[in-house]
Amino acid sequence: MIRYLLTRIATMIPTLLAISVLIFIIIQLPPGDYLETYIAELESQGESIDPQKIAALRADYGLDKPLAVQYWHWISNFVQGDYGYSFEYERPVAEIMGDRLWLTIILSFFTILFTWLIAFPIGIYSATHKYSWGDYGLTFVGFLGLAIPNFLFALIMLYVANRYFGTSIGGMMDPEYLDQPWSWGKLKSVLEHMWIPMLVIGTSGTAAMIRRLRANLLDELHKPYVLTARAKGMSEVKNLTKYPLRMALNFFIADIGSLLPSVVSGAEIVAVVLSLPTTGPLLLAALQAQDMYLAGSFLMFLALLTVIGMLVSDVLLFLVDPRIRFQKASK
Amino acid sequence: MILKSLIHSIFAIALLSSAVAQASEPPYLQAQIDSGELPTLYERLPDIPAFGGTEHLSVGQYGGTLRLLMAKSKDIRMMTVYGYSRLMALDKNLQLQPDILLRLENEDNRVFTLHLRKGHRWSDGELFTAEDFRFFWDDVANFEPLSPYGPPQAMKVDGQLPEFSVIDDYTVRFSWKDPNPNFLPEIAGPSPLYLYRPAHYLKAYHPRYVSEEQIEQQVEDTNSKNWRKLFHNKARQYKFTNPDLPTLQPWYNTTAIPAERFVFKRNPYFHRVDREGQQLPYIDEVTIQLASSSLIPAKAGSGESDLQARNISMDDYTFLKSAEQESKKIKVLLWDTALGSQIAIYPNLNASDPQWRETLRDVRFRRALSLAINRHELNQVIYFGLARESANTVLPHCPLFDTSLKDAWAGFDIEQANALLDDMGLERGSDGIRRFADGRKLDIIIQTAGEKNEETDMLELIKDTWRQVGIRLYTKALQREVLRNRVFSGQAVMSVWMGLPNGIPTAEMSPASLAPTRQDQLQWPAWGRYAETGEGSPPDIPEVQRLAELNDAWTMSSNSAQRLAIWDEMLKIHAEQVYSIGLINGTLQPVVINPRLQNVPEKAVYNWDPGAFFGIHRFDTFWLKPEGAS
Amino acid sequence: MSELDKQSIDQQQHWVSDKAYNPNHIEAPDEKAKRYYKASQWRRMWWQFKQHKLALYSALFIILMYLSIPFVEFLAPYSLPTRHTDHIYSPPQSVHFFDEQGDFQGPFVYGWDYELDMVRLHRNYSEDKSKQYAVEFFSRGDPYLLFGLIPTDIHFVGVENGGTLFLLGTDRLGRDQLSRMLYGMRISMTIGLVGVILSFFLGITLGCLAGYYGGWVDNLIQRITEVIRSIPELPLWMALSALLPITWSPLWVFFGVSTILAFLDWTGLARAVRSKLISLREEDFATAAVYMGAKPKRIITKHLLPGFFSHLVASASLSVPAMILGETALSFLGLGLRPPVTSWGVLLNEAQNVNIVAIYPWLMAPAIPVICVVLAFNFLGDGLRDAADPYSNANGS
Repeated sequence: MIRYLLTRIATMIPTLLAISVLIFIIIQLPPGDYLETYIAELESQGESIDPQKIAALRADYGLDKPLAVQYWHWISNFVQGDYGYSFEYERPVAEIMGDRLWLTIILSFFTILFTWLIAFPIGIYSATHKYSWGDYGLTFVGFLGLAIPNFLFALIMLYVANRYFGTSIGGMMDPEYLDQPWSWGKLKSVLEHMWIPMLVIGTSGTAAMIRRLRANLLDELHKPYVLTARAKGMSEVKNLTKYPLRMALNFFIADIGSLLPSVVSGAEIVAVVLSLPTTGPLLLAALQAQDMYLAGSFLMFLALLTVIGMLVSDVLLFLVDPRIRFQKASK
Repeated sequence: MILKSLIHSIFAIALLSSAVAQASEPPYLQAQIDSGELPTLYERLPDIPAFGGTEHLSVGQYGGTLRLLMAKSKDIRMMTVYGYSRLMALDKNLQLQPDILLRLENEDNRVFTLHLRKGHRWSDGELFTAEDFRFFWDDVANFEPLSPYGPPQAMKVDGQLPEFSVIDDYTVRFSWKDPNPNFLPEIAGPSPLYLYRPAHYLKAYHPRYVSEEQIEQQVEDTNSKNWRKLFHNKARQYKFTNPDLPTLQPWYNTTAIPAERFVFKRNPYFHRVDREGQQLPYIDEVTIQLASSSLIPAKAGSGESDLQARNISMDDYTFLKSAEQESKKIKVLLWDTALGSQIAIYPNLNASDPQWRETLRDVRFRRALSLAINRHELNQVIYFGLARESANTVLPHCPLFDTSLKDAWAGFDIEQANALLDDMGLERGSDGIRRFADGRKLDIIIQTAGEKNEETDMLELIKDTWRQVGIRLYTKALQREVLRNRVFSGQAVMSVWMGLPNGIPTAEMSPASLAPTRQDQLQWPAWGRYAETGEGSPPDIPEVQRLAELNDAWTMSSNSAQRLAIWDEMLKIHAEQVYSIGLINGTLQPVVINPRLQNVPEKAVYNWDPGAFFGIHRFDTFWLKPEGAS
Repeated sequence: MSELDKQSIDQQQHWVSDKAYNPNHIEAPDEKAKRYYKASQWRRMWWQFKQHKLALYSALFIILMYLSIPFVEFLAPYSLPTRHTDHIYSPPQSVHFFDEQGDFQGPFVYGWDYELDMVRLHRNYSEDKSKQYAVEFFSRGDPYLLFGLIPTDIHFVGVENGGTLFLLGTDRLGRDQLSRMLYGMRISMTIGLVGVILSFFLGITLGCLAGYYGGWVDNLIQRITEVIRSIPELPLWMALSALLPITWSPLWVFFGVSTILAFLDWTGLARAVRSKLISLREEDFATAAVYMGAKPKRIITKHLLPGFFSHLVASASLSVPAMILGETALSFLGLGLRPPVTSWGVLLNEAQNVNIVAIYPWLMAPAIPVICVVLAFNFLGDGLRDAADPYSNANGS
């Protein structure tokens, strides 16, 4: 077990290195660099910038150095905990990400909860009443969220909420509450705003979950022990929950690993449409402006979480599911 | 004449002083005044505050918060633009008036003597004096570590720097050997040339005034890269990113970035008053809420902004107007824009392909292309017929306007266009498309930045009419930077961008945009580059050379009549030579306001330079009528 | 002890039948069961699939859509670039059957014109009951090239000369929305297919290599999949889209986009293939094939792959909707396809603003085919997956 862990961690490092190179390339791929985006933006407003200042800025930001040097500079600082400096905000990256991270985590947490709440009953019903019209109907509803393009759905919900409920458009709460300490009003406002992203992002995740639950449950339900239990007089409900469901829930545990990165990246497109102060829009804007350190460090952070997540879920599965343990042993 | 205006001034000042003496304090500051934190109005205002430009406006009441929406945190610099507190400022008739300055003496556009207002204070209460100018000149602009390239480009005439002298505590002088007619427009610009810095604040970060250890300590404390970066961060006046930096604008920022909401509070030492002596601004706080740009029209429509023109376009007008009628929470005004052409087509005279270069340089070709555009249809389809069909030139309410400029080659005449092209020897093939001598088809690929629906739509419509004269049009959408690069390198044969940035110039403003002066001019990037850096080759078309000459002549000109003549000639050359194909101008800009907001003109021009968007319309005089008042 | 026990076994009476042994004498399988036992793998799959009604209808729907792709020009009332500058932002028109007096006239539309509301700058459309235009089938309309070869101008449905048939309204340039949606179908649905085929090949090839050979090949491929899976989708999309050279024609951009989508999709397939292959390669039949001297390629393709091919098909059919949605997402970000190329993603992107939602909601109609197609593929995939292994326990054999 320990050996397994150690070897996995050892292979993680070259993977992470490869990822960091890839990320760096990704950010540098679009032609130009941050300064060019900045200048073009100014000019589109009719403002202009001193050409001398541009040269000075370029040297200042280190954008005139060769790419390899820039990469090394970034990655060597990153591992020491210095995530770099954002050109756009002119502040260290860590400062900018800080607040937004919390909001992202909270939103994601509730969204995932919402997804589970919907997917669970539908998945179970679908497995136990296979091919019934109820099954079709519920699955249809469950999959609808996946099928509707998120950005359009979010926009429509925004408009509907504003017109029929008077909710202010976009953001996590009404603007008046932004700087104020927590109060009932503020909480109410946040809830009013939060149901839209929860609905939009949550429903798009239900399909996958329903499918997994249904498939796993079906596999279990047709096993002989279930038949035996039924013959011996166990109630259907108990028959369902005591063993098959537990088996089928394995994948939840396995999924915990991939939860981490999804929690943090927070459904970027929907957040952009809804103008939420989460990390998604930040990342998108940084990528478009080629704000190298902000985008790069954040992506690296996400990648790190994903890799760690995969490791965590593998380990958890190993611990939780004895079959995997014994399978390995028998080899 | 002089005596008369002198008497006028004295009279006005006398009246004003008595008014000020009786004027009430803004209630927002009352508590601070009572506790002694702030001095009284009389002491806060300069001896002679600025009182002009409000005759046509109503006298407002103090109070209220103005909510604005912006798309990015960088946009808070708009408060410097809207606030428009400048040494010299343009009034609503585009005339230069002293604003922060009490008086400016201009000798021949070479020697400028600036007189400051005695008793004028920064927003933190310290006096604004000649020392702030001297600090800028000696310790910033000419201090090599902070300005490795020296003072800003706008201060150099032919590479020469001016002579700067401090006459007394409230008077400074800049003198050049050759005329610098750009100087005044630059200091009055929306993004102005700053000649001063708050010396008392910045000296604490400057190595000449503070010991090295202290500087190092500061760098460490603030986690800055080095002291220069720290200094620049602290000193940024235009961008409003340092809440502690004293300012002369009507409101100052109190929120540090990053934030979702910025709060600007009134500047207690603001130097302007209304005609009853009340200190401006009327509104106590301005809050800027950040929201994604696509949501801003929706938010404005539901009343979340009290004054919004940014990020709103004609596309949103129907929605906003419907919202206005239904909810009565907003009021929608339609202002004019002042671009020479909302969108203009730029043939690239420096295209790298020799055939194309030759063809584009032939004026007949450009004229034919311009004639083959049905501007009326464009106007009807896209702007409901409310805009103006015109070439890329100045607008009617500009003194330099002439109908011939607007109509030059801007009619819709397929026959004449065909005749011109036939004349050039471009024969049609069997498919109706014209060919070059070497058999290549006249397929024009127009590069656009692809950001606005308007552009794509107009090009769709133009495609059809150009087909009728045997030219095929393809649109290629690119990122802005890529577009510019392709134009510079000559790969792009034709591009699309906005027309003249300033459609309402006076002869006193620089005609540089009409001559090859900058590399980013899409019709002659190589010649523009030559003018900027000296690299490459100079213009080789006589008319373009003439434009460059005229531009130089303007910079050296000594009187208004000369400048007027120069402008007229330059505009005429453009009209005849069709260096850019204008389509539509005079489009409208919707402005959404809170119905209670007063002093906002029903109809005005919304333009960056000149205009500073809301600047020349006196943003500081807007006020909110209390709710329930008649 | 009973009487019986006192006697020995031999002495006890017992009875043995001397009829020939018939294993089915208790329960003989009827015709249906016989067919079931004799049926091939594919037949069983079909029967299983048929049971999932939703999947069945979805399959029909999808096949119908793909079959109509070559006929799009024929089916659309107007051709793609046709604009009607007199009918900008027109709401959908209604088709009537009975005229004012109640007489049956066949399908027709009334005259359709607008009044400009100068206050709101809004075009108010209304029916002009004095004019009637018959809706014709196989009517003459805009000329086009059928299959890109045959010039013709017959459209499946059209309207009499002088009338307009905007069944789903028009956009800001007066282009018929229904026609645009039909043209968009062509691009959106083929991008899905092309992308999936590409991803299929990549996934199977790499998965097979990893699963069969094991060792360092396996390790390398696993690392690569890990790397690709760890990078968030969005930035990868953005970067790859930036790679598409600007000079490319729309068609090449199209292929570029599908490649990009495929590039991120194959990892799931590869992992599934690999795990299946790992379990199957230890099976006896595989070992037998090895001893018989079969080359790895033969073993993989002839023996191992068919075992789980059905699973792969199921996965693939679930990838198509992901591609279609991916294309819409790319359009939203301003990457991928742009006008004048028309796809559902492009259409939806144009509809993505509050003006459309509030005032011209018919322009959001392209969302409906997207939803239907995505749902259909999902149900199809589910049905296929259920049917994929007809011998599994879940299918109660």
